Formats: sequence, C-alpha cells, structure tokens
Amino acid sequence: MQDLLYFSQQLINGLTIGSTYALIAIGYTMVYGIIGMINFAHGEIYMIGAYTALIAITGLASLGVAWLPLILIVALVCAMIVSSAMGWAVERVAYRPVRGRHRLIPLISAIGMSIFLQNYVHLAQGSRNIGFPALIEGGFQFGSDGAFQMSLSYMQITIFVTTLICMTALSLFIARSRTGRACRAVSQDLGMANLLGIDTNRIISATFVIGAALAAVAGLLLGMYYGSVDPLFGFIAGLKAFTAAVLGGIGSIPGAMLGGLILGVSESMTSGYLSGEYKDVVSFGLLILILLFKPTGLLGKPEVEKI
Amino acid sequence: MKTSVKKLATAVSTSIALMGAGHAAAAIQIGIAGPMTGPVAQYGDMQFSGARMAIEQINANGGVMGEELVAVEYDDVCDPKQAVTVANNLVNDGVRYVIGHLCSSSSQPASDIYEDEGILMVTPASTSPEITERGYELVFRTIGLDSMQGPVAANYLASLNPERVAIVHDKQQYGEGIATAVRDTLKNKGVEIAMFEGITAGDKDFSSLVTKLKQADVDYVYYGGYHPELGLILRQARQANLDATFMGPEGVGNKDINTIAGEAAEGLLVTLPPSFDKKAENQELVAAFQDKGEDPSGPFVLTSYTAVQLVAHGIKQADSTDPFEVAEALRSGSFQTPIGTVEYDEAGDMKSFEFVVYEWHSDGSKTPVN
Repeated sequence: MQDLLYFSQQLINGLTIGSTYALIAIGYTMVYGIIGMINFAHGEIYMIGAYTALIAITGLASLGVAWLPLILIVALVCAMIVSSAMGWAVERVAYRPVRGRHRLIPLISAIGMSIFLQNYVHLAQGSRNIGFPALIEGGFQFGSDGAFQMSLSYMQITIFVTTLICMTALSLFIARSRTGRACRAVSQDLGMANLLGIDTNRIISATFVIGAALAAVAGLLLGMYYGSVDPLFGFIAGLKAFTAAVLGGIGSIPGAMLGGLILGVSESMTSGYLSGEYKDVVSFGLLILILLFKPTGLLGKPEVEKI
Repeated sequence: MKTSVKKLATAVSTSIALMGAGHAAAAIQIGIAGPMTGPVAQYGDMQFSGARMAIEQINANGGVMGEELVAVEYDDVCDPKQAVTVANNLVNDGVRYVIGHLCSSSSQPASDIYEDEGILMVTPASTSPEITERGYELVFRTIGLDSMQGPVAANYLASLNPERVAIVHDKQQYGEGIATAVRDTLKNKGVEIAMFEGITAGDKDFSSLVTKLKQADVDYVYYGGYHPELGLILRQARQANLDATFMGPEGVGNKDINTIAGEAAEGLLVTLPPSFDKKAENQELVAAFQDKGEDPSGPFVLTSYTAVQLVAHGIKQADSTDPFEVAEALRSGSFQTPIGTVEYDEAGDMKSFEFVVYEWHSDGSKTPVN
C-alpha cells in the first residue's frame, strides 16, 4: 500500500510537469510542422507570458479585486494577448525576412531572438526572482496518518484540467476549422497551398500566435505552481519542451502531448526510484534510444521522398 | 568632429592631471576595489562605507606612522574582466594596498596581478577557498571560508539529535563542497544520513525530490547551494506537507528566499557570519556609522573596516610601508578588531572565523539560535 501510494505520487508529479511540457511543446512542433524551423525563442515567450500574468495579478490586487475566477481569467487573457503579440512580432521581425534561406539562418536568428528577449526582461524587470502569489492552495490527502501520505493539490488538478481543455480545443480547431484545415494544407506543401489561394503568411503568423498563446497558459500555470518567476524561467522549460516535441515526433501535435507526458513521468520516476542526478541522463538517453530506432519520433510521419 | 575629439582629449588629460595632483598629496594610498554599480552594488556600498569610516578614524587619530591614509576608489562591477582592468589601474596609480575585491570571481583574477606587482590585498567578502590556496604571499581576508561553514552546520544539526538527515546539493563547487563537509562531519558523529543527492541548478520542479524526502521520513534536510532552488524546494515541501526542518549555508540567507518561498521560509536554519554590529564592544563604532547616516549591520561593513585597520596595524608593526614586510607582520601578529581577534595562517586565512546559526523568518528577519 505504501509503495503504491509512493508510486502514484511520483506518477502525479510526473504527469503535472509533463502536461506543461506538452503545452509548451505544441509551439515548437506546430512551427516546425509548418515552416520546418525550430523557434528557439519559444521558451522566452513562455517566460514573458508568466511575467505578464504576474503583472496583471498584481495590478488587479492593487485595484482591490479579490474574486479569484476573475483574477485568473483576466491574468490568463492578458498573458495570452501579450504573448501572442510577441509571438507574432518575433515571426515578423526575425523569421519572415530570412524565410526560405539556408536553414541555418533562421536558426541563428531564433537563438539571437531568444537572447534578446531574455536580456530585455532582465533590463525591464530586474534579474531577481519575483514572487507569484499562491492563488490556489490546498488539496486532497490520501493514506493514513503517520505513514506516507499521497497529496494531490488543487493546483495540480487545475494544471491537468487546463491542459486537457487546451489540447482538446486545439485538436478540434486543427481538425474542424477553416484556418485549421489551411494549417494542415500549409504543413503538407507550402508552395502548393500558396498556389491554391491560401494566404500562407497569415497561416504562419497564426501558428506562431497559437503556439505563443498556449505557452502563455503554461506560463501562468507554472508561475502559480512554482511561486516565482525570473528572466531565465523559460530556458530549461523550453529545452525540455523541445525534447518532448522531438521525442513525440516533431511536427505532430498528438506527438507533442505524448512526448511531454513521457518525459515528465520518466523524469519523476528516475528521481523517485534512482536519483535526481540521473533525471536528465535517463530522459535524454530515452530520447537518443527512440531517435535511433524511430528517427521521426514516436508519432512522427516519415517524410516521403518525392521523385 | 575634429574639435570634439580635441576637446575630449583635453578633458581626459585635465582629469588625468587632476587625479595625479590628488595622488601626489597622498602619503599612503589605500585602494578600495568593489562593485559601485551593477547587480551586487548593494554589497559594494557596505564595503566602501566600512573602509571609508576606518580611513577617516585612523586619520583623525594621527594617521599611520605620522602619515595620512588616502582612499582611492575603483568600481569593478563584480565582473572578472573589469576586475583585471581595475587591478591594472591600481598598479599604474602606484597604490600598494587594496581593500577588495568583493566577489570571489573578481578577487581571483585580480589577486594574480597584485601578487606579481607586490600589492597587498585584503578581501572583506570573498569566501571561495581557492583564493588563498595558491600559496600567494600578499593575499589576506577578513572573512571565513566556504569550507568552514559545513562543520558548523553539521555540529549544530548533530546537537539536535536528529533521527534521519537528508543532504541535498546543487552539484556546483560551492554547494556540493559544503554539503560534503556537512555529510562527513555528521557521519563522524554517528548521525544517520538517509540521502545524499544532487539536483540541477536552474531546475524548477522538485516535486519528485520532495516526495522522496517524505518517503524517507527525514526530520532534517541540509541543502548546499543558493536561494533560488532552496526557495522552490521549501515551497513545494510545504505544499506536499513534508514535515522536516531545512538548513542551508549563507548562500541561501538573503531576503530573496522570502520572495520565492513565502511562508515556507519560516524556521529555515542558516549559517551566517555573526552580526558584528550587535557586539557590546562595537557600539561606539556603530554609533559613529549611524551619525553619518550609514547602516553598519550589513555583513561586509565591519569586515571592510577591519581590513583597513589591519593594513594600518601591519604597517605600524612592520615599521615599513613595504607590502611584503607588512604581510610578514600580519602573519606573525595577533590583532584586536571589531570582528574579534585576528590571527593569520600561512595562506592568509584567519585562523578562526566564527559562523553563527540563525533561524530565518518569513518576514526576512533572523534570530541567532546557537
């Protein structure tokens, strides 16, 4: 019983962190799926989302608003708007002018953008950690007193549920809406979609905006979960989310979700049963193994050579 | 364009001339090198304030060997590259004694230059053991070493009769070094170490670690590292209802940990240099600082004050202003200072430097417990 509770606790830990990896990974995978480049500034967009949410929450608190759902919704909307605008602007400024060149050029442009955004927040907000108020506290306890108790906090439940809603909404959007269909068309063949009358520039912008909005959701959730933000907030999260996207098959949306969850659970199980020092060794080892046997990732489609 | 260059050149040469004039009047120049600007400028303020006060008081009492001390201040921004530039400027200005630098990463490269050029350096704040490990003759400090803190923490933990202790560190030189020292001391005292584990600095999610600590049923956790990670661990431990007391080195003892951990920082144990400004024998000095509108409670104000005093004592004792002879005098003497009796070993470290265990509170204040 004890061992089972311990296992479930580590599973919950892993799924919580994994679902936020998945939310961030969507941004990497959608951009890659459509224009075949890796947007390394995505982790910074996530960090900016967290900062914006924090500023909104502080602003509302100073206005005397105390109703929690209102605070959360306003913070979420503000974060999504600012991050989306950032995502859109980054694409316009840093990627569109170099699109279609050698693949190294947009990559370097992306890394430059990431450094720029990080330092911009350093200057604008200072390099210190800024505290995030704990808005959702408490949770359930399982197991008897005195022995190991499993806890499932309301915050963790919020993270699962929000992620689930976002993922479902995104899948429906891609499968059913007109823009979603255009996205799929552009990802299959950009030139052909253009010939058929799809405004590909608009679709590419939309991709960046959607990815950034989801990153902002993750920024708000994780800001609240961890309780503080700093300008380097997005760096490791971005790296992990990118790994998750590659693991699941870069370019595939269900792949990003699966990759995020696998990465999160494997990390928490390794630190739970082996040692925290091997956490990254195991997750990146797993990545190498999967890429060795399935180079396109778990759910990635192999590219068909066109003759 | 040409005229503006000329103007600039005139301006520069005038200022150089002025600086030269200032120096010509100086009898004994004391360089103070530390961050006046940049992210840790607040620590630099402590250093400058302490050193200026000491120079002022020594001059008021007739100076050293009948000569006045003159402060020459340099800004190194706590940047190793800038520290090297500062060190070279010091050499060019003919300064032979330096109070500084503040950050270990600045003291380290600057000390190479000082040693080569025969300049005596006393750092009031750099705690990295490496600075004095290279057998330099002219490097001293008025602060303890990272490696002294571990045993203090371990002895305190052992005195609480813990059942099981977990030790966590951030795998970096500072954190793992202290954590290892704590582990070894605890083992010698027969305390059961349930866990010794590293985490990755910069990580945000420690829920697995916290779950593991809960499973291991530890009553104390020692953390070697800095405040950003420990803050998150404390917060996540509180959320998971982990019932254990945490302890950490001076790297976690600043107000930023309250920002991150909030209420969870209450009851954290931290080893820090003692509050010298609370000592009864220093009250006159504390009042002198307060008269100037300065706050003597920062950790580096009185260490910096002491550094200047030691240089003065050394010169008197050696009866010479030659830095090598002064260094010799410092090594052989024993000095009464605001931070206690100072005696140096061969390396230039204080033979004893006390660390105190404090209990940290969620409002950022602290109370001594040992």
